[in-house]
Amino acid sequence: MSFDYQFATHLNRRTFLSQSGVGLGAAAFSNLLNHETQASTAQKQSQQPHFPPRVKRVIFLCMAGGPSHLETFDYKPELERLSGQPMPASITAGQPIAQLQGQELIAQGPLTKFQKYGEGGLEVSDYLPWHAKMADDICVLKSMHTEQINHDPAHTFMNTGTVISGRPSMGSWITYGLGSETQELPGFVVMSSVGGRNPQPIASRQWGAGFLPSRFQGVEFNSSGDPVYYVKPPGGISNSQQGRIVETIRQLDQHRQKTVQNPELETRLSAYEMAFRMQTSVPDLVDMSNEPKHILDMYGAKPGDGSFASNCLLARRLAERGVRFIHLYHRGWDHHGGLDKYMKICCGLTDQPTYALIQDLKQRGMLEETLVIWGGEFGRTPMFQGKGGVGRDHHIKGFSMWMAGGGIKGGTSHGNTDEFGYHAVEKPTHVRDMHATMLHMLGLDHRQLYYQHQGLDMRLTGVEEPHVLGDILG
Amino acid sequence: MPAQYLIIISALVITVCNVIQAAPLDFNRDIRPILSDKCIGCHGPEEESREADLRFDQLETALEDRGGYAVIKPGDPENSEMMTRILSDDEDLQMPPHHAQKELTEQDIAKLKQWIEEGANWEPHWAYVAPKAVSIPEVSNPDWCDNLIDSFVMQELDQQKLTPAADADSITLLRRLCFDLTGLPPTPEMAKQFLNDSSESAHCKLIDQLLGLPHFGERMAMYWLDLVRYADTVGYHGDQDHSISPYRDWVINAFNENMPFDQFTREQLAGDLLENRDVDNLIASGYNRLLQTTHEGGLQQKEYLAIYAADRVRNVSEVWMGATMGCAQCHSHKYDPYTITDFYSMAAFFADLDEAKHFTNGGNSLPTRREPELAVLSPSQREERQQVEQHIQELNREILPALISGDEQTSQLLKQFTSAESELKAIEKSKRLTMISASIKPREMRVLPRGNWQDDSGPIVQSAIPEFLGSLDTPERATRLDLANWLVDAENGSGLLTARVFVNRLWSLMFGHGLADLNDFGGQGSPPTHPELLDQLAIEFVNSGWDIKHMMKLMASSHTYRQQSLSNTQLDEIDPENKLYARQSRFRLPAEMIRDNALAISGLLVNESGGRSIKPYQPAGYYRHLNFPTRKYTSDTNQQQWRRGVYMHWQRQFLHPMLKAFDAPSREECTAERPRSNTPLAALTLLNDPTFIEAARCLAERILIEGGDEEQSQLNFAFQLTLSRQPDELEQEMLLGLLDDQFQYYQTNSKDAEKLLSVGLKKANTTLSQNQLAAWTQVARVLLNLSEVTTRN
Repeated sequence: MSFDYQFATHLNRRTFLSQSGVGLGAAAFSNLLNHETQASTAQKQSQQPHFPPRVKRVIFLCMAGGPSHLETFDYKPELERLSGQPMPASITAGQPIAQLQGQELIAQGPLTKFQKYGEGGLEVSDYLPWHAKMADDICVLKSMHTEQINHDPAHTFMNTGTVISGRPSMGSWITYGLGSETQELPGFVVMSSVGGRNPQPIASRQWGAGFLPSRFQGVEFNSSGDPVYYVKPPGGISNSQQGRIVETIRQLDQHRQKTVQNPELETRLSAYEMAFRMQTSVPDLVDMSNEPKHILDMYGAKPGDGSFASNCLLARRLAERGVRFIHLYHRGWDHHGGLDKYMKICCGLTDQPTYALIQDLKQRGMLEETLVIWGGEFGRTPMFQGKGGVGRDHHIKGFSMWMAGGGIKGGTSHGNTDEFGYHAVEKPTHVRDMHATMLHMLGLDHRQLYYQHQGLDMRLTGVEEPHVLGDILG
Repeated sequence: MPAQYLIIISALVITVCNVIQAAPLDFNRDIRPILSDKCIGCHGPEEESREADLRFDQLETALEDRGGYAVIKPGDPENSEMMTRILSDDEDLQMPPHHAQKELTEQDIAKLKQWIEEGANWEPHWAYVAPKAVSIPEVSNPDWCDNLIDSFVMQELDQQKLTPAADADSITLLRRLCFDLTGLPPTPEMAKQFLNDSSESAHCKLIDQLLGLPHFGERMAMYWLDLVRYADTVGYHGDQDHSISPYRDWVINAFNENMPFDQFTREQLAGDLLENRDVDNLIASGYNRLLQTTHEGGLQQKEYLAIYAADRVRNVSEVWMGATMGCAQCHSHKYDPYTITDFYSMAAFFADLDEAKHFTNGGNSLPTRREPELAVLSPSQREERQQVEQHIQELNREILPALISGDEQTSQLLKQFTSAESELKAIEKSKRLTMISASIKPREMRVLPRGNWQDDSGPIVQSAIPEFLGSLDTPERATRLDLANWLVDAENGSGLLTARVFVNRLWSLMFGHGLADLNDFGGQGSPPTHPELLDQLAIEFVNSGWDIKHMMKLMASSHTYRQQSLSNTQLDEIDPENKLYARQSRFRLPAEMIRDNALAISGLLVNESGGRSIKPYQPAGYYRHLNFPTRKYTSDTNQQQWRRGVYMHWQRQFLHPMLKAFDAPSREECTAERPRSNTPLAALTLLNDPTFIEAARCLAERILIEGGDEEQSQLNFAFQLTLSRQPDELEQEMLLGLLDDQFQYYQTNSKDAEKLLSVGLKKANTTLSQNQLAAWTQVARVLLNLSEVTTRN
């Protein structure tokens, strides 16, 4: 985790810069990373973990739309028995409800079979045969609960710990807390794929830096067109010409600096330098021609197709290059109807690539230093909804997520829902507990990771005290 | 309020007289921030988390006898439990406790000790004390002082033994004034006029000229729209367009017409409730509709009504009161005297707004429906319509007699009539919808315990201002209009607080940051660096009849404003953030100005005001995450393409990447202060965004057409346009060298020249040598990317 060491190795890789004579001192780089551009109260995070970290980075696989816990990891025989009958009022009375408002609440049993897998005997549904193979790699959090029942605010809550817009997302908090290990790419990268039921929108606030300095915001990588917006020089301008432009800007700025002495200039020049490097590092990242066929096959990835499979492979490549927080969205899990059909589609698109990602990280020795988190913004109701065939509505009182890597106890589960899969009853795990655990894995104390905004010490985990899930840590 | 103020003022006078020391402690400046940040979290106004019945937002509980000891014994730090606890090594006794992570610095401890030694003087929080007029201070160099601002600034400089910086050179000053007051660079004519005018009044003439331009309103609106979170889309879920652009135009016009700020306030909060309200008042009342809304399937109406109520309280309290009342949504404010009841009582002012229709009527069309809405014409269109109508009436009067008399002019008249009729139709058709406020029977408003919308156990509240600020004396339910009147009532309301908040914002536009915290006038905000100056400006603002242009001119014509921004080692040491104003500030231009500047320099800028929002080039696929409906962005294919940034389509969930890269906010919440970052994404934007490539090429065309025949004179012309100055030797050498190399390259790669010149809607001028034009485009790209071009100095 030595920052200086990482920094030195990256300096050596700046080939273009040494060739062309563009080059700034180390001071400028540390400026780019540490310098507070805004003349506000100096709020400096040391960019060092608070205690020895278990992992260096996070890959967050967001199954946007809210996958059903009842068809993935949370098998409920009692719900199966009750299927077709009214849900007990004692369970549903006074509870928040989304599209089923005003409708009769009928229990809906699981649409598929479950079996126990691996040495841990983790229950996994038949929709997820690849997950079944890696049951011993993952720890399922069966007692998740959240506070927001509609997609947009629920994502905001999952990402920022609050429903109020304008707060930093977890990736921003983490890059703010730990800095980045790469000088060639942003520290926080977001990618998305589609497939399944009509995808719910995702707002860019989900990877926003909120009140943190803008450089901590997530940068979206695109599967088609320019991988990063504006990363390519306009037509008719070669890379070396662009290099000449950047170089001229630098020289003229530095020349003028003698007169104006602008303390911001070093930061600005470093930003231009990194921008220029991204013009080669980003295409290099997405160029998968050097990936062997068996790896592509393992993921089921066709480079450039924008699939979840390709994004999983890119996630590994980003992890290798030192990106701190990699957030993948797969949009299509909002199964109000056609649950069986769309589960097959969504699982078909994500199950194998997820497996491949975990195995690939493992075989490269990277799973030990990478925390992988899987889950949606909420789960789905034990109750039937019939919007085009059997489906389920949004559900926030109990759902499943999983964690893997960094020594997390694989083949186990944490907590439980009631016999209907409605309420998280055993070791209820709030979103903030998940956040605190994630930060803990990274060596960050959720209390010490704060930023003063509008006079308050703001934290990802909010004001209520979260609990680190100690029993799942290896 | 007034009585309260009187007591407070006399208390102030006493404390002011007490302080004679060399480095006197100022309670609000030196002590309150420590107590607020380190102690009040557990010993503050909020009852639930208050420990040991002790609070430091007032002094009483600290002074009381606790069985032989007191937390504070004025004059006796050794026997004050506070100091004992602070200095204790015992973890169980130590304050602040270790787990609170609120360690006191040695400086803090020394200050607290000195404060108790000096008698533990207490002063009410500065923001809630009425500003009071004080006489202009005597300073070391009265000749330097052009107006009251300078005297107060110099007073502080004298204390720190600093002297003001030299005056900025006239080019810097010209550019500074143009950007600050209009958001645009000087035109060459303006520059010539100013730089050749050596008279004393040149500076003031320029200020007046700039304040009179329609661009002034556009510049001011940029900032106001951030505060009130104006955007073109609903923000939540499908982020559909909603209809609101006439409100934006109303704001621009209001600033241009110099509408007094009190009226500006009333029309926005309660335009619909004004007597004899007109269409403009209704458009202004769109303020209440600017918040994010949703019609997402499966929403719970009650939940969203609670979310909207809270959103409005946050915004109105931040914009007009500099208060972070949002904190009181779940529990009473931890640091300021706002209670949870205050929060919901404020929300109750807005309980009459007719807004629930969209939960059921709002659809996934573009724009979506957000009733109540009104179809309106702009003021100039209305004038036009009146003229056409008048013409039609005249024609009507003439046609019948002409018909009867068989006049040969008849057919001519009929033709005119038809064309006038279709003109009228066209005007009617150009009406734009805009969301307005409409008042219906107020819904019941309850305190929501812990902010929980499902909890109906809280008491019902009526609309009321925060209790510690007094109460409104209204015969019936206090309305939004009562709230607005109170906000701008300097005698019996919180008008002077409002004035302070707003002049502080104006100050930040002219000096780069506020005299006090722009976000928070509460206990956790940084107190004013120049409290007396802030007070005098607030009083001046009210006395001037809430005259915004007057205040802008006052600031712009001060000597403080005219200083150069250059710092020095000593100053960097003492005042790195330029809180003392021993120089001007220097900062990167806001996003819109970066765009406007490039368009203006290149000659592309279209000076049209108002209208539908515009859509500049945007990367394909940028909206692919949007749905309901799926979104296809079509950039404008006419001259709308080259209009100012203030008119850009503001998509909350996916703000245009150029705006975003340069720190423009999504406008989901109030933004009183934009960050100013320098990121690789911003560099990529300025290097590669087609808007800037096209601007560079058009600048190159101007250079070749208007800059004379010699490369030398062409480069001079280019510098004049972009920087209002001439290049020096090294700049010439470098840029002409670049020009030469690029020209060589394109001579052998003319296909590449063609590609470069084809970027953008505007066709390249084919009468020019294309290779030469491409080479100059490269030079122009360098110019547009220079730090000097994007910096307000």
